[in-house]
Amino acid sequence: MTPDLWVLLALVGLPFLGAAAVPLVYRILGERTAYFAALVALACLGLVGLLYGTEGAQSVDWVPALGIELRFYVDGLALLIATLASGVGVCILTYSGGYMHGEPGQPKYYATLLAFMGSMLGVALAADLITLFLFWELTSLTSFLLIGHYTTESSSQYAARKSMLITVAGGLFMLVGFVLLHAVSADALGSATWALAGEGSMLENAGAMREALESEGLFVVVLALLGIGAAAKSAQVPLHIWLPNAMEAPTPVSAFLHSATMVKAGVYLVGRMRPLFLPADAHPGSLELWTLGFAALGLLTMTVTAILAVAATDIKELLAYSTASHLGLIIAGFGFAGHLGAETGAFHILNHALFKATLFLVAGIVAHEAGTRKISELGGLREDLPITAGIAAIASLGMAGVPPFNGFYSKEFLFHAAWETGAASGGLYYLIPVVAVFGSVFTFLYSIRFLMLFFGEKPDELGHVHSPPVAMLAPPALLAALAAVVGIGGITGTFDVPLGPLEEFVGSVMHAVEPAGAEETSFHYYLPTTVTPWAIMSALTIAFGAALYPQYGRLHDGIRSLLRGPVRANWWYDTATEELNPTSTAVRDRVQNGLLRTYATWVAAAFAVLTFAGYVGASVDVPVPQEPATYLPLALTAVVLVASVTVFGDLSLRVATTVAGVLSVLALGIFAWAIFGLGLTPAELATQPPVVFVLALAAVAGIAVSRAPSHIAGVLTLSILGFMVAIFYILRDAPDLALTQLVVETLVLVIFLLVLDKLPAFYGGWDRGRMARDGVLSLAVGAVVTTTVLVTTAASPNEESVIARGLAEASYPEAGGNNIVNVILVDFRAFDTMGEIAVVSMAALSIVTLIALRERGETR
Amino acid sequence: MATEQLVVAPLLVALVTAILTLVVHRYVRAQKAVSALGGVAYVGAVAMLIQRVRSGAGSHGVEGVLTYQLSNWGAPFGITLVADDLSAFMLGLTAVVSLLALAFSILYVDEAGQRVSYHPLYHFMLVGVTGSFLTADIFNLFVWFEVMLMSSYVLVVFYSGPRHTKAALQYVVLNLVGSAFMLLAIGGLYSTTGTLNMADMARRLADPASFGITLAPVLGLSAVLFVVFALKAGIVPFQWWVPAAYRAAPAPVSAMLAGVVKKVGIYAIIRLYFTVFANAAPMDLALPGVVGESTLAFFGPVLFIMGAASIILGGVAAVNRDNVDDLLAYSSIGQVGFIVIALAFAAGGVVAGWQAPEPYGSVAVLGLAAALVYSLNHALAKAALFLASGAVYESVGSIEFEDLGGIAGRMPLLSAGFFVAALSLVGIPPLVGFFGKFLVFDAAVNAGSNLGIGLALLGAILTIAYVTRAWNRGFWGERSEAVEQATPQYGLFATVLVLAVVALGVGVAFDPVVEAAIDAANAALETGDYIEAVGLEDSLTSDGGGH
Repeated sequence: MTPDLWVLLALVGLPFLGAAAVPLVYRILGERTAYFAALVALACLGLVGLLYGTEGAQSVDWVPALGIELRFYVDGLALLIATLASGVGVCILTYSGGYMHGEPGQPKYYATLLAFMGSMLGVALAADLITLFLFWELTSLTSFLLIGHYTTESSSQYAARKSMLITVAGGLFMLVGFVLLHAVSADALGSATWALAGEGSMLENAGAMREALESEGLFVVVLALLGIGAAAKSAQVPLHIWLPNAMEAPTPVSAFLHSATMVKAGVYLVGRMRPLFLPADAHPGSLELWTLGFAALGLLTMTVTAILAVAATDIKELLAYSTASHLGLIIAGFGFAGHLGAETGAFHILNHALFKATLFLVAGIVAHEAGTRKISELGGLREDLPITAGIAAIASLGMAGVPPFNGFYSKEFLFHAAWETGAASGGLYYLIPVVAVFGSVFTFLYSIRFLMLFFGEKPDELGHVHSPPVAMLAPPALLAALAAVVGIGGITGTFDVPLGPLEEFVGSVMHAVEPAGAEETSFHYYLPTTVTPWAIMSALTIAFGAALYPQYGRLHDGIRSLLRGPVRANWWYDTATEELNPTSTAVRDRVQNGLLRTYATWVAAAFAVLTFAGYVGASVDVPVPQEPATYLPLALTAVVLVASVTVFGDLSLRVATTVAGVLSVLALGIFAWAIFGLGLTPAELATQPPVVFVLALAAVAGIAVSRAPSHIAGVLTLSILGFMVAIFYILRDAPDLALTQLVVETLVLVIFLLVLDKLPAFYGGWDRGRMARDGVLSLAVGAVVTTTVLVTTAASPNEESVIARGLAEASYPEAGGNNIVNVILVDFRAFDTMGEIAVVSMAALSIVTLIALRERGETR
Repeated sequence: MATEQLVVAPLLVALVTAILTLVVHRYVRAQKAVSALGGVAYVGAVAMLIQRVRSGAGSHGVEGVLTYQLSNWGAPFGITLVADDLSAFMLGLTAVVSLLALAFSILYVDEAGQRVSYHPLYHFMLVGVTGSFLTADIFNLFVWFEVMLMSSYVLVVFYSGPRHTKAALQYVVLNLVGSAFMLLAIGGLYSTTGTLNMADMARRLADPASFGITLAPVLGLSAVLFVVFALKAGIVPFQWWVPAAYRAAPAPVSAMLAGVVKKVGIYAIIRLYFTVFANAAPMDLALPGVVGESTLAFFGPVLFIMGAASIILGGVAAVNRDNVDDLLAYSSIGQVGFIVIALAFAAGGVVAGWQAPEPYGSVAVLGLAAALVYSLNHALAKAALFLASGAVYESVGSIEFEDLGGIAGRMPLLSAGFFVAALSLVGIPPLVGFFGKFLVFDAAVNAGSNLGIGLALLGAILTIAYVTRAWNRGFWGERSEAVEQATPQYGLFATVLVLAVVALGVGVAFDPVVEAAIDAANAALETGDYIEAVGLEDSLTSDGGGH
């Protein structure tokens, strides 16, 4: 039976609506908003209840153009996570009613928690990759806000930023994986899809997807990208480092997000993707690429973080590392092929949520009532908190994996799967079961240590510990009772009276994470009745643990003494984030040094390089004029230039005279060559001198500017250059241009003279290196511009197609004007002129503004 | 005919508003009212134009490409304005940002400043932006660039303090150098191809033999022009003016500069390089690292390198800035880098003809759509953030992080707006920023660019780093003295919130937006339609079939 769409939408939407209503509700109910939120969660739990017994996908369009849907899918795995999110949510929100009494920022707290719950339900039910990503990131975001709940604490800020950096960045890696999957699905399914589960989805065509991934060489890449996303979210080594810091959040948040639900998202992803990457014929013990990746990652995390938990000094820190460790266990379970792996993961998700959420709530009671979370300051709490001690006993023995408590059974499955895998491949692979036992010994150790908070001597400093309010006691009691029921189910199961509904449910989860076509196995759990390698592994774990426990203090100190420098993943994170700040400033200072000179240099250089590359790339022929007469003015100009350098340069009289003599001879030679060699008539020659004179004078002025002794002299010489250009225009029959140039030159000269007074007379010395660099650069820019002019003036598009011709033809008959320049300006392209008029008026406005607002800016 | 005249409407509305605000500047209230009405009318004109273009109205029988000949002088002789899906997309984002920044200005800029010149300059800037998005004439483009430059120059120097003057000087010098380059390129292109009209140029470049054109110089000339556009877009190594100018300008102007004016550079790259130069007949390119015979084979790698450098420089430099505006300015450099690498993928797609899944069909379309959606995201989010920075300044009296702290508790509405906009920058769904990042990733994947994927990831992580740092320093933490004594400016907060809500709304209702972006990308690549819609004539004289 397929689920109803409205139930799914209501389920995911309700918490968000609730969150939006919180500010209003808080005005009416005050601190009792907790119970309003718990009611919302309860309603969600009820809606999840309606989904039991259904399976299948439902969707509504979101971005139809891209084939993106809000698509939901219900199966065992989805129901398990959804039940945890809403069920644990009810407990947590109720508990918050007691715990958050008198705390700041409550409306924000409840709104964010509800929004988180909605996001988590979304993750559980999403069956479209983009829908999944949407809710995935929303869980990271709400987690960020909740970790930073105590906004003034710098440790909260540190923790929130760390979690955001790691989980959101991990999510982006996952997104790339999703995009790759989408691209591959085009080949595998005929048309690209974002649908993960349901009709026409990737999971339904897992075989084809796997083939396409392999044939395109993307199998490992996608696996790695999804793995990074899952590892970041589920705190797998070495990305586990954000989780212990996340304990800065209020304890209910730690219990809810950072143990029972949000951190399960990564695990969920691994479970969800398992049927896509595991071949259908995978069986317990078979060694797939998937297994190598995830079993290794999971076992490594399980062991490393269990060891770190033993080194913890704070009860929440201990529980945080323990959470990472158990998530590792689940990942390892899902990593193992076949039904054993599936059983491990599926069952441990449930068991872990039950005992860990309980323990966090217990830790909250301890911290709240005893006023400290330091392990060394706590002990003998049983006297003051008898009920809490009972609850803690059930949960921590489950965590330790002691029969018949709930955690024992799922750990037994792990041992079984590890053993099968090790035995099937033999040799070094026997390390797999060895590591599993090794890591579990530490799990046993810290679990017992946590339990011992309630036993032994009560330190004198502790004083009287109050009993917690019912709102804080009932939720952990309920969760512990459920954990106990699971444990009892194992005992009765041993006598063939299994806990039917539970086994069926876990079986459905298992089915969801098994590849289609895998051998159907039903799920049963019970206490070992025969001697098997995995039963021995369990026994060894407990035996070693019990033997080592008296040495706990030495172990604790020993591990702590090893945790220095680069051994810690935190060292890498802290170094990277701390080094980023000075690096950032160094980069900024080096690049943006505030000097216009640097900026202009780079702009000019980049211009020259890019343009030059463009010309070279297209193999442009630089047209060299063939007519010798062209060179005459150039040659003469060069002669005058050299002469002027001699005159303006700091050369001795003798050198200058010599150069002048040589140049005179050279000039005479050129004239002689022109007349006799090229056969130019003196009449032709007569047209040259004015041009030569004008250009030479302009060039001389250009040089003189750079050698001018004062600003005034510089500006005056500069204006010589400008006037020479104007005369050049006249010689070349462009009186309009000349007029414009003359006006501009005159104005510039006047303005310069007015302003120069205000400038310092002397700027400082010359740097030869910089001068050389600037010289080279200006030559390069000049060369590129010259090339551009030469190349483009040589181009000759067909005469009749050039638009100038059309404009000239139409100038009088159509626009009624004889001067084509005027007609273009005021008619053909009057629009341009309008824009330029705007520019001119703004220039006037700018002067008004600068004068009117002068000095006002000091305050900004 | 009425439909075609609508093309010039947004430009005229802005121009008339600019002039009217100048005329009534003695009456402050009237001036504000005229300015605000003009802003609303602009949005209305743009909305009508978009509606017409999207509903398929067109010129010369081409659906969705409206052209308008100024003074009815036929193309290519007169100046042509073209409104197609690409122009419509850019005008749409301009309209949204400009109206909100204007509303913010009226509440924020001091009375004296508003009276002197603020409103005319603001609307002139809008004129320049609008003209740039609409024109189909490269010299006319130069004119609008000048209008934009002149108005933005005065707006940068607006407060006229030493810091503002220095920033404005650098801004104007670098951009004037750019203008000189632009004139050089336009002159060169004119003498090489014999036309200024973009459609005509595209037509001639495709068939150089018929028009007696030598193609070889076009690559170098387009490189000169590229420098100008890169300078406008503020990408490395042309980013120099960005930080100081954004820091100096009044907050709403920074919002416009970062949100809209920068995008003019991006638009110009798309329009000229994808619509016009990419249409050129194949040419032999002999450069290392350049594979292909299209101009885009040259610009693809260039875009990629510049985009990569922008992402890294902007992202790294933004992390440790001392005040909000500096951080946002460097962030702009990095964010535009994302847009530019998407263009690089598109260029690669055009050259190699890579396919992409429906609805894109090709990597070229996907890359351009990614660039456009990212531009929209950056316009909305960065504008919201600059306005938020202005709102903080007006309320608290400082935007130096050392004076801030605990704003979230003191001014939750403003903080919510800032937070949402910052998340859009990071790319959190369902904000529009998510789709920007997502499409960039999709383009990188379909272009097979592993380096591109790595870069985009690095850039995104840097974004998280600086956004969270800003949040922790300014909005969380101990409430500073200044924040404690702040006077919240709720009118300003409202504009920030509206932009944040738009960023959310565009993401939630993303379908029409992505369709518009894909159509815009197709419009940019379908040079044939562009040429046909412009309706090139052979002569202006009546016997030649013209006027």
